[in-house]
Amino acid sequence: MKRSLFDKIWDAHVVEELPGGNALVFMDLVVAHEITTPPGAIAIEKEFGDKLYEPDRIVAMIDHVAPAKDAATALQAQTVRTWAKRQGIRFHDIGNNGICHVLVPERGYVTPGMSVCCGDSHTCTLGALGAFALGIGTTAQAGAMLAGCLILQRPKVMRIEITGELPPDATAKDLTLSVIATIGFRGGTGYVLEYTGSAVRALNMEQRMTLCNMAIEAGATTGIIAADATTAAYLAATPAAPTGWTPLQADGDAEYAATVTIDGSAIRPVVSWGTNPGENSPVDGTVPFDAPAESLAYMDLRPGQTLRSIAIDQAFIGSCTNSRIGDLRAAAAVLRGQQVSVPTIITPGSQAVRRQAEREGLHDIFQDAGALWTHSSCGPCLGMSMGVLAAGTRCVSSSNRNFPGRMGDGGRVHLAAPAVVAASAILGRIASPAEIVQREVVLA
Amino acid sequence: MTVEGTVLPIPRANIDTDQIIPAHYLTRIDADGMGEHLFEGMPDGADLLARHPGATVIVTGENFGCGSSREHAAWALLGRGFRAVIAPSFARIFHENAYNNGVVPVILPQETVDELMQARTISIDVAGETLRADGGEPISFALDPLRKQFVLGGGFLKYLDAKIPTVRAWEAAR
Repeated sequence: MKRSLFDKIWDAHVVEELPGGNALVFMDLVVAHEITTPPGAIAIEKEFGDKLYEPDRIVAMIDHVAPAKDAATALQAQTVRTWAKRQGIRFHDIGNNGICHVLVPERGYVTPGMSVCCGDSHTCTLGALGAFALGIGTTAQAGAMLAGCLILQRPKVMRIEITGELPPDATAKDLTLSVIATIGFRGGTGYVLEYTGSAVRALNMEQRMTLCNMAIEAGATTGIIAADATTAAYLAATPAAPTGWTPLQADGDAEYAATVTIDGSAIRPVVSWGTNPGENSPVDGTVPFDAPAESLAYMDLRPGQTLRSIAIDQAFIGSCTNSRIGDLRAAAAVLRGQQVSVPTIITPGSQAVRRQAEREGLHDIFQDAGALWTHSSCGPCLGMSMGVLAAGTRCVSSSNRNFPGRMGDGGRVHLAAPAVVAASAILGRIASPAEIVQREVVLA
Repeated sequence: MTVEGTVLPIPRANIDTDQIIPAHYLTRIDADGMGEHLFEGMPDGADLLARHPGATVIVTGENFGCGSSREHAAWALLGRGFRAVIAPSFARIFHENAYNNGVVPVILPQETVDELMQARTISIDVAGETLRADGGEPISFALDPLRKQFVLGGGFLKYLDAKIPTVRAWEAAR
């Protein structure tokens, strides 16, 4: 039988078929962080004598609240810290850390064909490397640490082909938001999204991570992109510089449960106006007239409103979606020589990204523009620390979720690419980067 | 096992886990203390809970539990006394978390769910995979035959622990 890329990885990891269409699926790597791992690690310690299947198959870090903001989060960090040390688990403490979905690939911990899980929904990011990577709950993660496996129902595979090439001003963020708008906020449920096509192959690894990162926002189990020369070059440049992996491809005439084709050349810079990531429209457009009333009530918007008229209170560039060096360069290109007019927080995805940005002088551009340049953390993306929104305030954000209360109770979030966030930060309203360029021409 | 009690209807789709339990409460190293903050991220969450005191069964729309993987959502439901959620569909991660924590995830067609929104009490025979609303005719549903044992009696980790020799043998032959 002709198989998809995902099918090949799945078949290579099924240990045993289980009742009810379930399978025992081997996990090559378990990623652990301080928010969701401690209860599972403690359960294993108490009930199973602290036994792990293979500590070498785990990598742990502090990422969500780094450093701890209070005694409770300090205890979370200390629990992971002492557990990792006791078990001999690779551990990235504050100072040498990063958001797990940024740090794990940049260190070279994931190679094509691997299976990876983490108690974090955005683990799908790692599908960019041609791996099967999925988010799971704390108990399932504990199972993977204890027995090396998850219990899963085999997902269907949806082939998503992005044809042509993206316009120069459209980014991987615009593409992933457009995919969600096309297939629907829950349209990927029960599926793995297998991305292919010329516009996908043209993306660099960071951009592929942005694309795969938001597969979960369509409800999908994960996203995945076949490894190619771009993947190989990326991996060779990582500290681990892994070798010995085999690039897998879908068979040419593989059958898919669903197929979607999107014209890449039609992708525009977009921004969300609603309360889920699928509710987005071109930045130059308006709030749709058929927008759900409930979403607009929460967002305090009205149908037909020009998106570029919406005033904002804060801007955030960061998160596992858009905090890598290319994202920071894109933001710096807009912010260079400009001044932000609202509080603007720029948070690199890892300490390694932070150091690279500083080698390039990006931190000076950001700080000269009046933005706050921070160390690496998940930060305000999930409303835990470092820039949580006040009720009723509005933030343009390069992150991944605009759910009610996501970045703070009563806060309103507009998702966009880093360059759009940067332009919005300057003008104090939702804005297109082209407006900053045009403004410069007029001023000159 | 029977789960029965009064109903909390939430006639909306896409209730995400940030609404079920906001991230700023995810600061514990155990599963305790979540119930008192249930639905604090939902604009009308406090009002819904106040209007349905003591409810144990949630009836809601598609895609319940979408978004963050936080198992705290299941812990918050349990901590507030909810033992079952009835919906046309669940997000994948929440669906597994529900099974692993004894929150019964019942999937029924939208029309049936819409009718159950009007029910005052629901009684669920988990082992028999049927439920009755206000003492009416039984309605059948299907649980995952493997995960059903975890929702009835826990034991997910024990089940996996017993698989370790199989996994090691598989890996050795890989």
